[in-house]
Amino acid sequence: MAKFRIKRYNPEKQAEPYYEEFDYDIPEGATLLDCLNHLKWNVDGTLTYRMSCRSAICGSCAMKGNGHALLACQKQAAHLLKDGSDTITIEPLGNMPVIKDLATDFQQFWDKVDQVKPYLQNKEKPPERERQQSPQQFRKIDDATTCIMCGACYSDCNVLEVDKNFLGPAALAKAQRFVGDSRDQATRDRIKELSKPGGMWDCTHCGECVERCPKPAEPFYRIKELMAVGLEEGVTNNVGARHALSFVKSVKHSGRLNESKIPIESMGYFNIKGLLDLVPVGLRMLLKMKIPPIIHKPIDDAKDVRRIFEEFGE
Amino acid sequence: MKFALFTGCVAKGATRELMLATIKSAEALGIDFIEMKSAACCGAGVISEKNPVLTDAINARTFALAEEQGLDIITICSTCQGNLKKSECHLDEDVEYKDKINHVLKDGGHQYEGGKIKIKHFSNILATPEGKALLKEKIKRPLTGLKTAGFYGCYVLRPSELSEYEDPDNPKELEELFEILGATPVYYPSRIKCCGFPIIMMNKDASHAMAGNALIEAVEGGADCVVTGCPLCHLSLDSYQPEIESMQKKHYSIPILHLPQLVALALGFSPEEIGMDKHIVSTVGLDKILAQHA
Amino acid sequence: MIKHDVLIVGAGLAGMRAALEVCKDLDVGLLTKVYPSRSHSGAAQGGIAASLGNSEDDSWEEHMFDTIKGGDYLSDQDAVEEYVKAAPKVIYELEHMGCTFSRTEDGKIAQRSFGGHSKPRACFSADRTGHAILHALHEQVLKNAKSIKIYSEWYMHQLIVEDGRCGGVVVSNIRTGEVEVIHAKAVVFATGGYGRVFQITTNAFAGTADGAIAAFRAGIPLEDSEFVQFHPSGLYRQGILFSEAARGEGGYLLNGKGERFMEQYAPSRMELAPRDIVARAEQSEIDAGRGVDGKDIIHLDLRHLGEARIMERLPQIRQLGIDFIGVDCVTDPLPIQPSAHYSMGGIPTDMFGQVVIDEKGTPMKGFFAAGECACVSVHGANRLGTNSLLEATVFGERTGRSALKYARNAEFSKVNESHEKARVLNQVEEIFQRDGSESYNDIRNEMKEVMMAKCGVFRDAEKLKSCIATIQDLKERYKKGKVTDKGQLFNTELYEIIELGNMLEMAEIISTAALARQESRGGHFRTDFPKRDDKDFLKHSLVSRNESGMELKYKPVVITRYQPKERTY
Repeated sequence: MAKFRIKRYNPEKQAEPYYEEFDYDIPEGATLLDCLNHLKWNVDGTLTYRMSCRSAICGSCAMKGNGHALLACQKQAAHLLKDGSDTITIEPLGNMPVIKDLATDFQQFWDKVDQVKPYLQNKEKPPERERQQSPQQFRKIDDATTCIMCGACYSDCNVLEVDKNFLGPAALAKAQRFVGDSRDQATRDRIKELSKPGGMWDCTHCGECVERCPKPAEPFYRIKELMAVGLEEGVTNNVGARHALSFVKSVKHSGRLNESKIPIESMGYFNIKGLLDLVPVGLRMLLKMKIPPIIHKPIDDAKDVRRIFEEFGE
Repeated sequence: MKFALFTGCVAKGATRELMLATIKSAEALGIDFIEMKSAACCGAGVISEKNPVLTDAINARTFALAEEQGLDIITICSTCQGNLKKSECHLDEDVEYKDKINHVLKDGGHQYEGGKIKIKHFSNILATPEGKALLKEKIKRPLTGLKTAGFYGCYVLRPSELSEYEDPDNPKELEELFEILGATPVYYPSRIKCCGFPIIMMNKDASHAMAGNALIEAVEGGADCVVTGCPLCHLSLDSYQPEIESMQKKHYSIPILHLPQLVALALGFSPEEIGMDKHIVSTVGLDKILAQHA
Repeated sequence: MIKHDVLIVGAGLAGMRAALEVCKDLDVGLLTKVYPSRSHSGAAQGGIAASLGNSEDDSWEEHMFDTIKGGDYLSDQDAVEEYVKAAPKVIYELEHMGCTFSRTEDGKIAQRSFGGHSKPRACFSADRTGHAILHALHEQVLKNAKSIKIYSEWYMHQLIVEDGRCGGVVVSNIRTGEVEVIHAKAVVFATGGYGRVFQITTNAFAGTADGAIAAFRAGIPLEDSEFVQFHPSGLYRQGILFSEAARGEGGYLLNGKGERFMEQYAPSRMELAPRDIVARAEQSEIDAGRGVDGKDIIHLDLRHLGEARIMERLPQIRQLGIDFIGVDCVTDPLPIQPSAHYSMGGIPTDMFGQVVIDEKGTPMKGFFAAGECACVSVHGANRLGTNSLLEATVFGERTGRSALKYARNAEFSKVNESHEKARVLNQVEEIFQRDGSESYNDIRNEMKEVMMAKCGVFRDAEKLKSCIATIQDLKERYKKGKVTDKGQLFNTELYEIIELGNMLEMAEIISTAALARQESRGGHFRTDFPKRDDKDFLKHSLVSRNESGMELKYKPVVITRYQPKERTY
């Protein structure tokens, strides 16, 4: 017998959320959604959640199982019982207001999708037949187009937890779907927008979105593709881009990071406020002798590394 | 036990105390670390923002070096660990890609064959049955009374298929090590989250808020210190703690230790010997706790 | 009262495509009980048909003939002609909007083979074609946000009809429970199908006949309701769809003895015969005890395709197998069975999406329908794979244009708002007041079981009579169901109850029409009348309700180019 510990919330009845436990013997092969349906249809009809396709394509039934976002229809319930535990904790998605039980308000999610101008921009008169696109070009956007907008990545995004201004993984993946599309002509405008605060450079690399994505969309990898396009396009007047360039330069030069230079080069030599921000921590570390050696020592055979950088176009 | 030690950049720079504690604890445990002095930076997930193929090439060179040494790679940084694993995966799943990169490595006298060496974080070998037995055998000063909050570092956990931890969504390895060392683990939600370091210059407030949330949870969980497997997490949680405190208008002063420092403490080294006096947040309080229980 | 020039109910392919036409000139409301991107069109996998000729020479005439033969000659051929002629243009339009398609080496839209099509004419986006088109249309709808107002998670309860003209709908906001009247010059239904009536179905939980029944209750007969398509490859017991593309790419069907049994049923087309024939073949094998392990299982075997091709062309199918039954189709065959998939019948319309209310083709002014909920009829007695996405797109566009044209020259009709609202409020109150002696879950399960067992792949008079009796009994029990959630806020239980009411009505309509059709044609097979009977039944059924019960009428099939012939594959 498994215990489903479900976070309940119904402001019509009670202002505060609470957890309620339901016992249910998980039938073989039952998905989490099957179990929730059993509880709703046989035990408590007020239990509220979204669902529709139950084949992992509509994106309705995203919620948290044992603290991590997932699609209820895609998850075998028994797989949520680990280490002999008999309890599965079910909660609504994170980073969104809760409406009732497991149903959350997606407004901000969609607003952010809207912000990236989520449609093809091409001013040319279309040809009579299809526009040409090679299989290789198609492959560049293949993964991003598998996104089902379920919100699982958004829910568990570490940056969104602390900064609601961040576009978030789903919207950025959607942006990559157009930036990477050979038919789209707004690459530079898009990249400029995405390079602003709250955009792609605000991603903290935590990998949660890759882990939670139920499809091959895996937003973090799409974000990295955006960054590469940003650098390629020369949209570098921002800390994120300068940081990447400084980093590459440093490793090319000596095979390892020059930690003293990178913060300064990233902020930009003329970014007075940014540089001033570095002063307290810099001084603090200096006082503790917690600074890199004054003379930056390259790795052995740094020459070979430099050669490889050059071979690959840096 | 003998390994090729991939130090990473930060342990040779801003957190040299990590390197110090690693060498000391390895010596005391009788583990042989051969430093990979000509291995380049793992790319830290940053070089790949500009040039993903280059990242894999540089790391293929590192793997080739280890193959030449005939040793598995040990990392002491979650970021290095994750990025090396990622490159390994890219190279191993696509023979053509590997050949293309090997073609370039050849001129430097290196070739990456694949499948010959493993890449593990220091915590991974300590968490094996042999590692645990070794620790138990060598402990001189059990860390009784010390409440330690583990902080894993994202890159060793995600993507989970590249993680060396058994259950990356709910890892227990660090906490198990704490128990073996005699300390009491503190579990808190942020232990598997991001420290905020990667965006410390791009979005300082968000970065500090992430680190701050971890610190609050650790403190509220009763931890005496936070122990991390990643020097970048250490920088975020330790070096920037005064900024975080002033931003969140809170006062934690919670010491942040590198995992090898915690190990070295239990192995009998003094805090000074392992560079704990180099930290921004004073670790003096920990001595008191340990002394009380000694 | 909310007002829009045109109100579209349903935001799948047909609804959104229609909205994009209307918004060119008028203000449009787009209402959906889910979110547009969650519509069930997105679950379509294999492709969308058009005679582009990108991989082999093809023509609209061949597409037309295949469609008509596939439909067992019940299609209205004038409509089919318009439909297949429009196909290439709408595909190019989708491509220009940004829809992603898999490509040939020379950069054209790739095309693959599909059941019943004599040429490879399925354009596709790996095995998520519906998803790709749905999102491309959604992107365009978001782009036109100024003139398209989206009502996500709103439920349509009733159609407002006065003096033979449609004036709007009564709806409620699922989130708040608030009932509203939406006043519109024209209403377009694009509400999808009703596979949920059956136990084993590929359909989403949302496929509950809401639109068809709202029209039916407003006095509009439903056309060809007996024709329900069973898809040959739904996952065993769950019905989750494994695209026909799996067979299009070369997959085999094997019975319990490991035989490619399609040899016995459709030797020339084998696994790529039309769905009605393949589903019947599977059911025959199962009924003869030749299912896998003696169960209701047929094997879909893709192993010989190899991992590379599966990953390129059928990656989602592979993942579905792994996630839902732990079977990797690279190494093991997938267990499947026939699953209710698509309704050929629906709200009768002319070929411009105008709803007609009788056998004479009298239009219901201001009311239009497109997509699966409509019956034009291009699919006749059986739809070919990849023809539904095409139908939704072609008729979505045409219907949008018709609604736009109509609404441009029309005034808002008079609507008695409080009276209309009260109808729905009273219905909800009546549900809340029921005595609670019956379980809705039991009623729903019994309906699904009886429809599967007695109105499924094989039917006969005795089964159908007993099916109708059971459904009528369930309808009585339905009036006494138990309600636990009487709140206003996001009350999903309430909507499930209303949907069940719609499905019970639909179940009775399907089985009534099936009983009356004493022949076998396309998706409708009567073991007691196993032959097609063109003399008596080359006609469309129309079911409506009068005081004494269900009433059946018929209307002729439009035949232009292709005279009915024996149908073999």
